[in-house]
Amino acid sequence: MENWFHRECVKPVKVEKKQGKSVAKIQIEDDGSYVQVNQDGGKQKLEKAKITLNDCLACSGCITSAESVLITQQSHQELLKVLLNNKSSATEQKVVVVSVSPQSRASLAARFDLSSGEAGRRLTSFFKGLGVHHVFETSFSRTFSLLESQREFVERFQRKEQDSKSLPMLTSACPGWICYAEKTHGEFVLPYISTTRSPQQMMGSLVKGYFAEQQGLSPQQIYHVAVMPCFDKKLEASRPDFYLDEAETREVDCVITSGEVQKMLEEKNVSLNDVEPAPLDTLFSSVSEDEFLKHSGSGSGGYLHHVFTYAAKQLFGEEVKELTYKTLRNKDFQEVTLEKDGVVLLSFASTYGFRNIQNLVQKLKRGKSPYHFVEVMACPAGCLNGGGQVKPLPGQNPKELLQKVEELYMAERPLSPEDDTRVAELYQSWLHTVGEDRANELLHTRYHTVEKMTNGLTMKW
Amino acid sequence: MKAGLSPVQTLNAHPDSRCWFVGWSPSGTLLASCGGDKAIRIWGREGDSWICKSVLQDGHQRTVRRVAWSPCGNYLASASFDATTCIWKKKNDDFESLTVLEGHENEVKSVAWAPSGNLLATCSRDKSVWVWEVDEDDEYECVTVVNSHTQDVKNIVWHPTQELLASASYDNNVCIYKEEDDDWECRATLQGHTSTVWSLAFDATGQRLASCSDDRTVKIWKESPNESGQGDLLWKCVCTLSGYHGRTVYDISWCRLTGALATACGDDAVRVFKEDETADPDQPVFSLAAQVTRAHSQDVNCVAWNPKEAGLLASCSDDGGISIWRFQEED
Repeated sequence: MENWFHRECVKPVKVEKKQGKSVAKIQIEDDGSYVQVNQDGGKQKLEKAKITLNDCLACSGCITSAESVLITQQSHQELLKVLLNNKSSATEQKVVVVSVSPQSRASLAARFDLSSGEAGRRLTSFFKGLGVHHVFETSFSRTFSLLESQREFVERFQRKEQDSKSLPMLTSACPGWICYAEKTHGEFVLPYISTTRSPQQMMGSLVKGYFAEQQGLSPQQIYHVAVMPCFDKKLEASRPDFYLDEAETREVDCVITSGEVQKMLEEKNVSLNDVEPAPLDTLFSSVSEDEFLKHSGSGSGGYLHHVFTYAAKQLFGEEVKELTYKTLRNKDFQEVTLEKDGVVLLSFASTYGFRNIQNLVQKLKRGKSPYHFVEVMACPAGCLNGGGQVKPLPGQNPKELLQKVEELYMAERPLSPEDDTRVAELYQSWLHTVGEDRANELLHTRYHTVEKMTNGLTMKW
Repeated sequence: MKAGLSPVQTLNAHPDSRCWFVGWSPSGTLLASCGGDKAIRIWGREGDSWICKSVLQDGHQRTVRRVAWSPCGNYLASASFDATTCIWKKKNDDFESLTVLEGHENEVKSVAWAPSGNLLATCSRDKSVWVWEVDEDDEYECVTVVNSHTQDVKNIVWHPTQELLASASYDNNVCIYKEEDDDWECRATLQGHTSTVWSLAFDATGQRLASCSDDRTVKIWKESPNESGQGDLLWKCVCTLSGYHGRTVYDISWCRLTGALATACGDDAVRVFKEDETADPDQPVFSLAAQVTRAHSQDVNCVAWNPKEAGLLASCSDDGGISIWRFQEED
């Protein structure tokens, strides 16, 4: 259910106005193309009209006017342009950094029948061969997201008597969920949403903040690309909150999907199987002896797992060794509880997919939500099943492919965020030295209600 | 005596407004109507005539497009252009608002109860079809949201006995949905109409589905057995009625008692078709049994056969009126 809330533009075709009284009808074909059907039955395919950003914003024919434009501004062609520019121009060279998500790595690994680690090494090699300078991976930055989420939850739990909107805490790593929440429920739901930055944007802070400084570069001298399992991550990267005003640059310049990386390989006529593996860039990667480390819990980041385990310990002194998930209405709606002496101490849930998010929010509105924390993801089955993941091969069963991706993702060795010494170092040497306000900016974000643009003129029943 | 449709009564149901829909209660003793005046009216018989028993005025902020009776007859669901669906509970002769279902992004075009009474389906201009489940405490939860159409979904109907759903759309297609694994999926797309499909009706057994369209035809579809019993369902068009309707066919009703088909048309007429008993069931033949060319003074939006009284038919129109008819077969 990718892009389930994006509305299509109502002006995608150009119709040549002819003289005379011929009455033509416009019809949409199965492949999505537009044809003009003349009175005599003859069909003419209509050209797609290109729309300028200004036309787009002025129309208000669709609610998500600017979004489809923003999405097309980020593509693998943009990355290739930057790399080409580096090769051909002596000045204005950019340091190109690519941050790969573990879900994208697993998706590409599945396509080429490699282990996730093997895929990662070969992707590093492939990108560097194109001219990319550093290849990091977002499990590293996710460690920050998990640590911050844990602390934020405990802090919210401790003030729940004073603040009626502190709980339930709803995760914020999924931009599909955030866009929907901002647009459809606005002020009501935003206070419940965790302010912790997503792994993608944490990496943005790390690369354009810490790394830039370390390398003696200004943030705009770095071109930061993220490889993600969905298209909505492109929208997240373009949020004004993640734009550095002074440096006039985005923290993440371009997001490309796993599928777009696959396209890049195809365009270069390269199979990952034929690429020589390269050693991993360890600065911002969670690796040990050239093997990737993962986080326990779901394939969407493990937020529920980590926050639950941490909260059980911090708030109730309980050591949780294993979580027992109870499936409710469907497999995308699960519950985990901490009980002691018949009392429910913690009640957590994960709700994936639009239908479950609907029910979560409606229950919240009626004051009937029993949860302290919910891991919310827009895609059924979560990020491993994102809309930008590599598609099944002809004849390949999509359910079997998803299972394969899940297995490859889960096969990596887990590392607890608290045990990551390099992350701890960065907290000490960097985050604790820049002051509380600045640290907050780097680790957290905020949300904004989006006003609906409903125009009576666009109604047609 | 020749077959014919004779008028029983006309009601100025939604004055100065459109009447979008009429529907009989499961017992056949009440008639619900709704319209552009944002109201729902309940009509009942008093002696020989039909009178307005109650008006449900404050449930919606815009046009009420359709109303559905629950199989037990104790609840009403109303679909509105205000993007909500209201659930009403019967209290003596009146109805009180129980809950309001939100979620559709814009105008809700239709609503229908599953034969079990546990599920409710809604569809909207937002191109989606939602299925809701109601629990013992009258709480509604979303079961699924399916986006199989590429345009406005005009109508949805449930199979008379199975948990199978059909939808009709501005994209010219009919989709059939079934629950698979733990979610609902479109298992068949019926293509054939060359313009908007406005309405659908299953026959008494659910083996056949009738659709009506802006292309001025009515099509009858039949499910052909799928050897493997798995995967997509196969529905074929086994009959097309063309040349009878002067304009868009907005609604169709298939009488569960007599098998007669009634249509509501943009040419202001109401028509009744009967099936030829001798024809091959896989190639049915329908012929026009009766028509009233000026049934209303404007577009006829809806027709409904009474579920208990054979031959009793209700229709309603853009002119705000409801007409009740008696269809008499040939002697």
